[in-house]
Amino acid sequence: METVTAAGLTRRFGKLTAVKPLTLGLPAGKVIGLVGPNGSGKSTLIRMLLGLMKPSAGQATVLDEPISSPGRYLGRVGALVENPAFVPGLSARANLTSLARLRGLPNARVDAVLDTVGLTGRDREPVKRYSLGMKQRLGIAAALLPDPALLILDEPTNGLDPSGIVEIRSLLAQLGTAGRTVLVSSHLLSEIEAICEHLVVIRFGELLYSGPITGLLNAAGQHVDLRAEHDADTDRLVQALQAHGWQVTGSAADGVRVSAGAQDAAPINRAAHTAGITLRELSVVQDSLEDVFLAMTGGTEQQLMAARATAAGRGAR
Amino acid sequence: MVTDIANAVRSELVRTRRKGLMLGWLGLTALAAVLINVVMFQVVESGGAAPSGGPGVSFPTAAELARPDGLVAGLGAAAGMFGVVTLSFWALVTATDYQTGLIRLLVSAQPRRWLLLTGKILALVLWTAAVTTVAVVTDLLVAPAVAGGSGIDVSAWRDNVPSTLAEGWLNLFCALVVWGVFGLALAVVTRSAAIAISVGVGYVLVVESVIRAAAETIGDRLPGSTLSALAQGGNTALSYASALALGAAYTLVSIGIAEVVLHRRDITD
Repeated sequence: METVTAAGLTRRFGKLTAVKPLTLGLPAGKVIGLVGPNGSGKSTLIRMLLGLMKPSAGQATVLDEPISSPGRYLGRVGALVENPAFVPGLSARANLTSLARLRGLPNARVDAVLDTVGLTGRDREPVKRYSLGMKQRLGIAAALLPDPALLILDEPTNGLDPSGIVEIRSLLAQLGTAGRTVLVSSHLLSEIEAICEHLVVIRFGELLYSGPITGLLNAAGQHVDLRAEHDADTDRLVQALQAHGWQVTGSAADGVRVSAGAQDAAPINRAAHTAGITLRELSVVQDSLEDVFLAMTGGTEQQLMAARATAAGRGAR
Repeated sequence: MVTDIANAVRSELVRTRRKGLMLGWLGLTALAAVLINVVMFQVVESGGAAPSGGPGVSFPTAAELARPDGLVAGLGAAAGMFGVVTLSFWALVTATDYQTGLIRLLVSAQPRRWLLLTGKILALVLWTAAVTTVAVVTDLLVAPAVAGGSGIDVSAWRDNVPSTLAEGWLNLFCALVVWGVFGLALAVVTRSAAIAISVGVGYVLVVESVIRAAAETIGDRLPGSTLSALAQGGNTALSYASALALGAAYTLVSIGIAEVVLHRRDITD
């Protein structure tokens, strides 16, 4: 059974296509990670699913209802979209009470969600006095108000310090245990790989992967990290390896990364030796999910920004 | 349906119950009621013509002040001033939803956007009723006190005070609701309190004054003049019935624009 389905779902903003025709199905009762670099269309996709934005083309369903009729399913959906938004001068309790009344829910739900996110006792303080972590927890509390079958959290750890991230991560793990579907978006895979069973990867609005997280791990390969005795030899080392046909995926003063397996370690060492370079470090490393993700989405944030700028330049012409 | 509307109103009442915001609105309204009465009884000369007012203010004659409804003349005289204050607070409350991003949560919680708009309008109408009451009570306390030293015979004010106050309250309330709806519509369209208030105040202080100076007949039917006439219970330029009908038309058009914009526009805030 699928909680969310999409068929050719598209969203354009003028000449920019934020979400390219997207076809996917998200399984029910699982914690699903929606991952992609900044500006990849995650929030746009979420806004379409929540009826905040209309798609330019295509169709989608949420809890078996079409997204063209959000009134039919939003009563069973809770969401935190981007930053938690509240009336700063009102208390957490008043903010939640206002939302509970709008949904026609009893005040008991306010107590219940405050308890779930651990804000009982601080609930009468104005939200403007809350730390970012407390605001995020309040945002999750607001999303939990309708006791949703589908919980959508867009970048719930955005701007948090490491302890806040750990706190929210354990809260999310707890929320995903009750048979509820939780869709969590993030631009950092490391943030959600520990809690998600299913992963959706998008880049520049395009679906790159949708499936179990183990499927992505199986696709992970190996690489060899090596370092010349003298940093000045790094460039020569890269040339020597490339001359032997190896693909150098990373090069910096502190070392070289080669896309290769354990069986290549000895030949790589010999190639370096033949070029007159002594290695002080050579190790075979299993690719992490992060490596697979970066390879899939095209590299670091800076590389992506450059790629996007180039793509935008081409589109403008 | 009725339950959903009631839920939307109750939700909005919780969000608007902000001490600073509401004390500001009530305080500014009370201040305007004090100021207009003090100034009005100083500038209106016994037996003379009505002194020239200014943007948002139109003074009555001494003869009009001496009538039983002169007790609430200050409310009608400063209707534009009260109106601008009301427009600003309606705009502020509405634009806050966009500026804080709260609109995302609200539309996710209640996807029928017209219900959100209806809830907000009805809640703000209730607050406007409270604000109108403050204006009338302030007027009732201040007007007799300052009228004593003006040399204008106000003995007729003692006739039928409850009915005069009720009429004054209703007229001002109707005018303020229309002003408020303008503020709400501007805030929905611009999604910014500062821009909505600037446009509203700029219109009253500049645009309408210029149009009135250029073409008085048309000017009498413009929003500011119409709502002043409504608050005064009709005047020489516009009858009460015409002011009421025009005020209703302005309200419907403004709500219509707000509803269409809110319904059609993506929530990107």
